Amino acid sequence: MAASAYELLAMLMRYVFVLLGALIVWRSFRWMSRDARAYRQEMRTLPDAGLVGEIVNLATGEGQPLPREGTIGSSWDSDIRIKDSQALRTHARFEFEEGKGLKVIPARRAYMLLSGQELRGPGYCLHGTPLQIGNTTLRVRLFAGLKVPSPVEYPEPDALLGGDSYTESWEGELQDWDRAQGFPAIPGQEQEEYVPYGTGAVPLGAPVDPYLENAEADPAHYEGNYTEDGQMTWQYAYSLQDLQRAMIEQNGASDEAEGVKYQSPLANRRRRRKRHGT
Amino acid sequence: MERKKQRARSDPGRAMLLTVMVFFFLGFFLLAIKDGSWQCFVLSVLVPAIVFFGTTVISRLFPSDKLLLALTNFLCALGVLMLYRISPTRGMTQALNYGVGVVCMILSAMLVRYMPKTKTLTILMMIGSLGFLTLPILIGTETNGAKNWMSVGGYSMQPSEIVKLALLWCLAYMLSQRKYILSILFGGACLLILMLQKDLGTALLYYALCLVLLYASTGSLLLVGTGLAGGAGAAVVGYQMFAHVKARLAIWQDPWQYTQGAGLQIVRSFVAIANGGLWGVGLGLGNAGNSTRAGGIPEAYNDFIFPVILHEFGTIFGLIVLGMYLFIVIRAVMIARRSRTVFYGLLAIGCATLIAVQTFVIIGGNIKLIPLTGVTLPFISYGGTSMVSSLCVIGFLQGIASRNAAGVDEDRALAMEGGGLR
Repeated sequence: MAASAYELLAMLMRYVFVLLGALIVWRSFRWMSRDARAYRQEMRTLPDAGLVGEIVNLATGEGQPLPREGTIGSSWDSDIRIKDSQALRTHARFEFEEGKGLKVIPARRAYMLLSGQELRGPGYCLHGTPLQIGNTTLRVRLFAGLKVPSPVEYPEPDALLGGDSYTESWEGELQDWDRAQGFPAIPGQEQEEYVPYGTGAVPLGAPVDPYLENAEADPAHYEGNYTEDGQMTWQYAYSLQDLQRAMIEQNGASDEAEGVKYQSPLANRRRRRKRHGT
Repeated sequence: MERKKQRARSDPGRAMLLTVMVFFFLGFFLLAIKDGSWQCFVLSVLVPAIVFFGTTVISRLFPSDKLLLALTNFLCALGVLMLYRISPTRGMTQALNYGVGVVCMILSAMLVRYMPKTKTLTILMMIGSLGFLTLPILIGTETNGAKNWMSVGGYSMQPSEIVKLALLWCLAYMLSQRKYILSILFGGACLLILMLQKDLGTALLYYALCLVLLYASTGSLLLVGTGLAGGAGAAVVGYQMFAHVKARLAIWQDPWQYTQGAGLQIVRSFVAIANGGLWGVGLGLGNAGNSTRAGGIPEAYNDFIFPVILHEFGTIFGLIVLGMYLFIVIRAVMIARRSRTVFYGLLAIGCATLIAVQTFVIIGGNIKLIPLTGVTLPFISYGGTSMVSSLCVIGFLQGIASRNAAGVDEDRALAMEGGGLR
């Protein structure tokens, strides 16, 4: 092609290139804003996006949303913040693992109990597993539909608030722990002490003993059975509200804290769903 | 069938991809008319084909971010076009690098998508990257004052470009595990090795990456302030120790004093940008890319490719290219915000930082906004290692975007199950 003809063509084409470039930028901008809008709308329909459940403080009844991973501690930037003088700023890290449950990794020098046992390395929480940090007892509650091993049966909080009675089996094991003082010894293994893990229930209206400290003195609170391998199971029932009140009394919580109802962050959504019948 | 057609019509990626492909077909076709070379005719079909492959194949393998792919492919193909314009041999090599880079992008996206973040992998990466980064000191060659290149089997490569990815991965992992001391030590060790190589441009990039990730992870201004103070101290020490740093600072202050020496490149870059004006001189008509001709920029294919683009396509087009970089960074930040775990969030923020800082450092150096340092313009500059590492960064982002999409699907499935607690 002749140089002058090419020059003319190239000078014309530069406008075409700028136009095409501008078109690409304009389309990118529109694409990005449309996508951002669509994502926002989708997130509105999925208010629990990124969460795997909630953690309930059994003393106050306060529920905190549980993200897939984060930290538990007393610092302001903790994902699960607990107000307890014995809690470290970052007491433990947690992350949800598909098929295994919520993995809890305590910080160095952090003392915590998972299902009544001291947690020295990483441990897994399932739905209903209690965690104790200082004087605070937390309970993990996971969403239905997540792939995790089956937990112990645990009733829906709505049923609890309605005052329905229920039973829940407790399991424990032999170990040396202060809270087990005064607990009935297993026949033939009197030197051992029995520590329960999990929370339980006694008949509605009965006096509540959350740590089972008076269990030996008043055996009417529970009915236990020993199994051959030294495990003990027993059943009893009381409402979660009664349990919470009793724990508040025992932990010396203020009067305002008493009677605080169980407040789930998911309660509003559940109520809305009920109202619309979906 | 009708629904399929409707979906295709409403897909914004389709129109965008078509525009990008038309752009490069026209660009290469124009150069082919000028040169009459069959290679250029082949490239006018091959490059749009790689763009099509790079944009559609990944999105068929797993849900990915098509916008990010389209923008990245545009910039990579623009690099091939400009390099072919400057030197046909380099253009063909860059087209090959681009193809290899696309395959690496797919692999790195699959690594993030399917590989669980493991402690062992991170430890291996840390040890390997420190060893790899040390190699140029032992067996490397010095280029432009920095000893950061080495030759392996006839191919020259820059280990710091690959270690950049390992540093990003390891820092994101360690910071997500709250191992702050270890991550600072690892970042510091990498920076020290780069200082020994006198590769200050890459050191600046690593430093910015460490600082941004530390801030994103801890939110501590004290830590960032300490890091900034340390960086300022290191800059003073670098200025005192290295003669080429002093020279570059002097050129930055007044390049017109050094028009016949070290300041030649930057002065010619200004002249090329000014000659291009708003609309450019036209593709194939400029002389900025040819260093043997009057007004040619010596390192036009590498550090100074952006002034050549401004010269031939004009300042308006240069702003359009900058807009594309900006969209890529914004998109990376969006992916980070949507990520489900701290590790992937930090990884995406790190990717955004790498692209943003590298682009700013080299374009800022080209237009005398900051002193010139030797880093490549991501996706565009000549170099296989640079192209592969830049596309791997995009691969990481694609993997995270894919995980985010899977997370949303999971949330939707949970909501379908009632969304309530057990």
